[in-house]
Amino acid sequence: MSDTETRGGFTGDPGAALTVTGTSGCCGNPPQATIALPEPATTAPSPCCGTQADATAEGSCCASAAKSDAVAAGQGCCG
Amino acid sequence: MTTDLDALLAGVDGERMAGTVTALADARFAGRRAGSPGGGAARQWLGDQIRGFGAQPIVDSFGVRAVPEVYAAPEVTWSDGFDTRRLVFGRQTAVHLASADQPAARRGPLAVAGAGNPVGRWLLVPAGMSLFDAYGHADGALGLLIGRPVDADGWHFTMLAGPDPGPLPVLTLDPDTHAAMLAAAPTRGTWLAGSTPIRRVDVTAANLQGRWHTAAGSGADLLLTAHYDGVGDHPGLRQPAASDNGSGVAVIVEAARLLGPALPDGAGFAVALLDAEEIGALGSAHHAAHLRRTGASPLVINVDGAGRLHEAAAVEAGGPAHRLLALLDQAGRHTGLALAAGPVASDNRRYAAAGFAAVGIGAGMGGYHSPADTPDRVDPATLVAVCRLVVATAWLAATIPATLPSLIGD
Repeated sequence: MSDTETRGGFTGDPGAALTVTGTSGCCGNPPQATIALPEPATTAPSPCCGTQADATAEGSCCASAAKSDAVAAGQGCCG
Repeated sequence: MTTDLDALLAGVDGERMAGTVTALADARFAGRRAGSPGGGAARQWLGDQIRGFGAQPIVDSFGVRAVPEVYAAPEVTWSDGFDTRRLVFGRQTAVHLASADQPAARRGPLAVAGAGNPVGRWLLVPAGMSLFDAYGHADGALGLLIGRPVDADGWHFTMLAGPDPGPLPVLTLDPDTHAAMLAAAPTRGTWLAGSTPIRRVDVTAANLQGRWHTAAGSGADLLLTAHYDGVGDHPGLRQPAASDNGSGVAVIVEAARLLGPALPDGAGFAVALLDAEEIGALGSAHHAAHLRRTGASPLVINVDGAGRLHEAAAVEAGGPAHRLLALLDQAGRHTGLALAAGPVASDNRRYAAAGFAAVGIGAGMGGYHSPADTPDRVDPATLVAVCRLVVATAWLAATIPATLPSLIGD
């Protein structure tokens, strides 16, 4: 197989995968993980998990403040 | 070396992976909730697989507190003043994670939260009102009724990670039922009788690990991970957890079968099948902490969902993962799998948070946390595509020195 004959690999900058934000689910993969092309990475925080940077800073997979806010607001993603 | 890789990729067996998914989704494993007998049985079965592929399975246990468990199907009946209807558990109603335990059904009139006297009534929470605000209107109420979206098959999602139990029974309703009750509530003679049998249990969960090679010198230390736990069956309601994450486990186990005997000396190679992801990625947190204490620095590839590829697999990276992403990109181009940055909120985040290079790969789920997550919805071609990606990435990481350009010419 020649690599030039395929259309695999990242559709954009692979480094964008380092700036992906949280999901609509709390510490669980979202129901529709598969994404259509192109799917630019967003920098907006998710309702339940906040930003990845916040989650990382807390040593968790979701930011607790965002999660608490979501729970208080009755967001379905956190139960 | 490209020939070696292609020979390895040719060995990826979709039928074998589909068989693994079917086995993990079997009723004997009961949805594989962390700390459950079914979860333990699945772990033992997977340990046998690891042993059969040449590594000694290691079980690493840890405690998990307050895991929510619906211990009986809720009994919910309501009347609009004319007809009486019994709601179907899992479709029309479910127990909210914030619910207090109410073993026996309690009956009372229907009312709307924030409108009128709540005492002795079941309160419908209107759209837009938060649970927090609803509590403020619910002094003396029998319980709360919250509308919640259902999936395309009409099932409620089950979540294990979420709020602690509150002071009242709380039931969720599908949108149609919620709307019907809201419309009927102002009418005299409407009522609901409902139970919310939910409790918290402290359990022992366990990761399952296997190591084929120990890293030496400057060799890469590869760690492939996937969580094997699910949200678990409910009483009378199977939740097979085939896509989430039997599919990811099948990919990792198949990759281990192929890579174990094939990777060169010097490259470290281990697999961790993780527990308690559904309760907050606790298994990976436990494992990552252990790795930090031992001074390890693995390249982590986590797969969560390899059930239904559409156009591209989602990739989320964390930690010092630039080289790992470059390798993944090479592997994607070599195997023809398109990749796009996208959220994979799974165990990979725990490893990244611990400072390790980690990527999460998600390639879709045919079902999610519901009875619809069945093996027949896992696409074998997706299993093959993701496994080829993982195998190629691992092979490239193990065979290409970090300071040299690609040896496969891309």
